Amino acid sequence: MAHVDLQTGEDVAVWRILEDGALPDEAGEWLVPLGRLKDEAGSLLEEKGVRLGVLIETETPHSDLAGIGNYASFAAIRFPGFGDGRGFSLAVRLRKDYGFNGDIRAIGHVIPDQAQFLLRAGFNTSEVPEERREAFVRAVNRYKHVYQSDAQGGISILRQRHDQADTRRVS
Amino acid sequence: MYAYDTFDHAMVNARVEEFRDQVARRLSGELTEEEFRPLRLMNGLYLQLHAYMLRVAVPYGTLNSRQMRRLAHIARKYDKGYGHFTTRQNIQYNWPKLVDAPDILAELAEVEMHAIQTSGNCIRNVTTDQFAGAAHDEVADPRATAEIIRQWSTFHPEFSFLPRKFKIAITGAPKDRAAVKWHDIGLVLKKNEAGELGVEVLVGGGMGRTPVIAKTIADFVPESEMLSYLEAILRVYNEQGRRDNKYKARIKILVEDTGTEEFKRLVEEEYEAIRASFIDVPAEEVVRIRQFFAPPPLPVLADEDAGLDALAAADFRFRAWVKNNTFAHKVPGHVSVTISLKPHGGIPGDATDAQMDLVADIAEEYSHDEVRVSHEQNLILPHVAKRDLVAIWQKLDAAGLGSANVGLLTDIIACPGLDYCALANARSIPIAQAITNRFDDLKRLEDIGQLKIKISGCINSCGHHHAGHIGILGVDRKGEENYQLLLGGSGEEDASKAAILGPGFDEHGIVDAVEKVVAAYMGERKEGETFLAAYRRLGPDVFKEAVYGAR
Amino acid sequence: MAKKLSGPQMIVANRLTDGRVLFLTAEGWAVEPTHSIVAHDEDEVTALLAVANADVKANLVLAVEVVSAEVGEGGVRPGHIKTQMQARGPSVRTDLGYQVSPFWEN
Repeated sequence: MAHVDLQTGEDVAVWRILEDGALPDEAGEWLVPLGRLKDEAGSLLEEKGVRLGVLIETETPHSDLAGIGNYASFAAIRFPGFGDGRGFSLAVRLRKDYGFNGDIRAIGHVIPDQAQFLLRAGFNTSEVPEERREAFVRAVNRYKHVYQSDAQGGISILRQRHDQADTRRVS
Repeated sequence: MYAYDTFDHAMVNARVEEFRDQVARRLSGELTEEEFRPLRLMNGLYLQLHAYMLRVAVPYGTLNSRQMRRLAHIARKYDKGYGHFTTRQNIQYNWPKLVDAPDILAELAEVEMHAIQTSGNCIRNVTTDQFAGAAHDEVADPRATAEIIRQWSTFHPEFSFLPRKFKIAITGAPKDRAAVKWHDIGLVLKKNEAGELGVEVLVGGGMGRTPVIAKTIADFVPESEMLSYLEAILRVYNEQGRRDNKYKARIKILVEDTGTEEFKRLVEEEYEAIRASFIDVPAEEVVRIRQFFAPPPLPVLADEDAGLDALAAADFRFRAWVKNNTFAHKVPGHVSVTISLKPHGGIPGDATDAQMDLVADIAEEYSHDEVRVSHEQNLILPHVAKRDLVAIWQKLDAAGLGSANVGLLTDIIACPGLDYCALANARSIPIAQAITNRFDDLKRLEDIGQLKIKISGCINSCGHHHAGHIGILGVDRKGEENYQLLLGGSGEEDASKAAILGPGFDEHGIVDAVEKVVAAYMGERKEGETFLAAYRRLGPDVFKEAVYGAR
Repeated sequence: MAKKLSGPQMIVANRLTDGRVLFLTAEGWAVEPTHSIVAHDEDEVTALLAVANADVKANLVLAVEVVSAEVGEGGVRPGHIKTQMQARGPSVRTDLGYQVSPFWEN
């Protein structure tokens, strides 16, 4: 399993998931479930060179994400199945409502055909089975223009038609 | 009607190539069926009993003659020479091959058509009044609003994997011909006191095993903020709609469980947070889209036509056709013509390639190049001069399209049922055929008057039986087809749920039962009283007695 | 002894490339149900499913189902109306059944 940057297709350094009760035993990126992170962020961060990420399950109510930027420098939303569209709304909420500026990463079961949706919803990176990497990169560049504006700076066709000077584009 | 610009063309062309890639990956095994299924569904491709089925979008039911000819061509080249017009104003082909599907989509893209989001857990094709832009009673043409929603909902990054399918309908007239109260979101175009256009928003309607009539949550949302409001509804639904049980996943269940007031509060809270942001469409774009739907330049003509009157006097069938199959137009001397796809003994909604070509020819010559598909599975020529009615009828009648039964008992909605559908429990089409054969007498039908029969072959309710004045629901009873009889439904602005009358029937018994219901109505009705009005006045007992009394 | 079924069973599926209905016979997949292999107990059903699912894996068929079968003088026919419909084509368009349509020849 690779983990790639949705815009460049390049590999992203992989973090470790912090097991229940365990403490980060070295510097680097550690992913911590949302509940534990809120409770223990202070002590977990004492370790030098540790960057914490928040692990978010799709059933999480978005209101639980309030203030998450204070604890986490990146987020990972875990899709139990690719049809669970709640992950997209959670990413949108993180950007739109909670001003989260760190990377948002898709983990779990997502498919190449969702790559552009992930990017436009606010994800930066995604887990990708190695044999699907090429399909992912193809998919992310599929649609040059789209019908919705988004919080990532994508401008809807409905606006672009009247703003020829604006060259900002999705993907 | 709307014409694609380079953006729209690029979008559908990219979609064709994407699907070509997906089909290739499926055939090679790179995609599993589990993964491919939602992708093919979002391109309208189902697997049915005998073959794949392709559902092509007819956005808000509007076609030009070139598009209609392309639909005929596809029926000929890739299918078995016919197509089926559906209650969602779309067309379905019953026999396409998976390997041909990308080519079919490419043929559609050439004429500004697609099969995008005609299935799957996403926002489906927006439906509307088949007489939009022509109806004498409308506030504004709902198709411009529908086109804005079509674009906004196409490949929405956040709302393409919803808990369940999502259907939006819009009417531009207070008389609801689009069944908006039976949709996940129903929109009613209105003007406020300042004369500005906006929508009343209803949510949570739907059929299926839990029929619910939509409730109003906003009396007036300005057109300029409509997408923000829709986005707020969809976000709340995407987050909170149930995903543990597909039978409880539609928004109607969320609205019922949450309570309409609380649901409205959640939506308004999000709406307030996002309104007047980048989501909505700039005013100049609304103007651009609306101009595509400017009414055609029709001359005001005399309301009387000597040729029409002469043939009407001489030919009862023509007189009935003019009476039943034409609808008042905004412009004097014009009408909208409904071409009935309900020949007695035929398959409701089916049309052959030759019939589609003929309708295209007639539309080009007599209806400003426009055809509509109605949710009642008929075709409409929206802008016809009354003086052309004789010529049009003669051409239609010669091709088996002259049925004069629009709005009458034999203008039946029926789903494909067990003859085609993998979900069905019983056949629908043969019941429609048997009823139309039983009532094959135009004078009798006119005497009976307005009566809508709607038949579904399973509880999914594609045949709208819950909204039928007479509804018929096919069920599986110990491996045998069995039919329940429901009365008193309505799909219009006075929407109501039909109620089961009593025990079910076999395929012969149900036809007898319908005849008994009709006889009871004829015996009890007051002067000028329709079937639905009589049922509402009388209640079910009279009909129970008529149908079951002799048992 | 393997557990008995409520009645004889057969396997139906659709061909991946065009959706055509196929029945599992000793010779492989066939468009006619007549020569379908019939299972009489759960072990036999399991064995048939193993064959069918191998062809799912090989991307040849999909929508494999175990359905009731009736065995008579003319061979095997489907027991349930839905499978009978699949074997014959739509009852309302008997002119389009598999047997009469050149569209499906191959």
